[in-house]
Amino acid sequence: MFTWSTKALFALSAVVLSAQQIKLPRTADGKPNLQGIWQVRGKAAADLQGKGIVEGGEIPYQPWAITKKRENFTNRLAADPLGKCYLPGVPRIMYMEYPFQIFQTPEHVAITFEWSQVYRLIYTNGKPAPHEGIDSWMGDSRGRWEGDTLVVEVKAQNDKTWFDMAGDFHSDAMNVTERYRMVDPDTIQYEATIQDPKVFTKSWKISIPMTRQKNMSRLLEYQCQAEAEEANGAFERDPRTWYPKPGSPPSPLGKPAVMPPSGPLPEVKTGTNLRRTADGKPDLTGYYQSNAGGANYGLEQRRSELRLTPSTRGVIIDPPDRTLPYQPWARAERINREEPYRGYDDPTAHCFVAGVPRSMYVPSPVQILQPPGYVVMLFERMSWRIVPLDGRAHIPDNIRLWQGDSVGHWEGDTLVVDTTNMNGKTWLNEVGDVVSHAEHIVERFIPTADGKITYRATVTDPIAYTKPWTIEIPLNRANDELLEVACHEDNGDLQHLKDVRDEYRAQQKKEK
Amino acid sequence: MNITKLSGVLGMITLMAGTALAHHSFTAEFDVNKPVKLTGKVTEMKFSNPHSWIYLDVETNGKIVNWALETGAANALIRRGWKKTDLPAGTVLHVDGWQARNGTATANVSSVTFPDGKRLFAGSSNESAPQQ
Repeated sequence: MFTWSTKALFALSAVVLSAQQIKLPRTADGKPNLQGIWQVRGKAAADLQGKGIVEGGEIPYQPWAITKKRENFTNRLAADPLGKCYLPGVPRIMYMEYPFQIFQTPEHVAITFEWSQVYRLIYTNGKPAPHEGIDSWMGDSRGRWEGDTLVVEVKAQNDKTWFDMAGDFHSDAMNVTERYRMVDPDTIQYEATIQDPKVFTKSWKISIPMTRQKNMSRLLEYQCQAEAEEANGAFERDPRTWYPKPGSPPSPLGKPAVMPPSGPLPEVKTGTNLRRTADGKPDLTGYYQSNAGGANYGLEQRRSELRLTPSTRGVIIDPPDRTLPYQPWARAERINREEPYRGYDDPTAHCFVAGVPRSMYVPSPVQILQPPGYVVMLFERMSWRIVPLDGRAHIPDNIRLWQGDSVGHWEGDTLVVDTTNMNGKTWLNEVGDVVSHAEHIVERFIPTADGKITYRATVTDPIAYTKPWTIEIPLNRANDELLEVACHEDNGDLQHLKDVRDEYRAQQKKEK
Repeated sequence: MNITKLSGVLGMITLMAGTALAHHSFTAEFDVNKPVKLTGKVTEMKFSNPHSWIYLDVETNGKIVNWALETGAANALIRRGWKKTDLPAGTVLHVDGWQARNGTATANVSSVTFPDGKRLFAGSSNESAPQQ
């Protein structure tokens, strides 16, 4: 004889039991395995105060802040920081309608976003931030596991980001506590508790499900600022190097060269007694700086005549004469790119992604992670490279990316990364060494000792070169953490470079 | 932070900062044929990436012009223990650098001299400055 309440209790315990029985994927150290591609769909990105996202329905603004929020709403089209492609901050980045990929190691959770190649690196190693008192757009994230829930404290965000497109905002006093709880293998329930005594009367919480994107095997790129500048004409197509658009006329350069194979390279021995991961591979994890000898100012050796451009060591090891085997048009273009009016054309002057291999030798650090099945590279200049090690093929040829499509494998203790699908928009450095969309890069990460990698990249590009060439650069591990470079948020230089370019063009017009 | 320590820090940062963290061509933006020598009072130190900026009020012919002086990236300064508050408004500086090609009151800093007479390099790509 059951009463209503005992029936209810019975039903409830059945629900609890089934929740416990749902088998979650787990990592080797027993934590829920959040690795995978996820996305939030729904109204949160547009307006947090829509249905069922904010606990209690409304954000508890202080009276002055209600007025401010209304102003933001009225001016939202012009005032939303995202309209300028500025970094979205946390939690907003988590529920914008773009996919993101989570990677997990015992010491880190990394989240790479398709939106503008933003990433978050969450330290779960219990260490405090080494550099205190710095505000940034994405804040400082430290995580810990509470049972099966990943709890992340996000601090030191600036006051320039919003929560959504409706103008919901915060101050620089905001602290965010995030909770990632996997409720079934394909759903993470995401909660963020917002504390900001300058703007709100009390703390408040949002709760949003994230869904595993089973049909996606790879993140692509949505480069917010680059796409905007290509659309409005601020960044111009070069038909010689860019991947042709459907229906565009054939390349003005004619047929690509037939390339001989790469020459033999001097052997480098991998180290003995290397630190290793659980699966026995060399553990490359860490914060690295390249000793690039000025590769970002020229790959060939050069004693600078120009007082503002540094000399370069020269990093080419093949061909043996240590010069780039340019086709004549590309050498001429390279020389022309040093004219002041071409400075504006370097994509990194626009704060766009540096590409491959340039990302490895821009004078800015990289964090390497080795989550199961991948090598992930996070660049301080806010971009990422994801290298799957599962033997998959490259993506279809017509998908072209700033950082290309990389796949990797181990040859003994050397990590080999093969990259294609480049878009041909990048320069190899500030003096404009040339590369096109036909670029195929084979990189070798040769660990010669703990914390020391000999990095080699062999570039085959039949549009710009007559044969393959190889650079070699040491990467050295250091005890530090990445900081944030919010580049185009504060890029005063670009206008100056544009002024120089525009003045030149005006002059040319007059002379005609 | 006293001036001696300040100049030491500025010296260290600037040796590598401008060159090492550049994201654009210096020769394209600044003109080696337009060297400038400026003396003035700091109005603001803007801590930013890829370059930080020192703003300096400089008096020329009775008129005060606020110059924007480009130096190294904030991240390089942070890694050397530099803080936003370390270059307070009102600090007097003598600055050598190269003016922007577009003729505005903008320059890339090659050296800074403090009132104590100490001369230090600051954040340029001048090849005579030691490099990383």
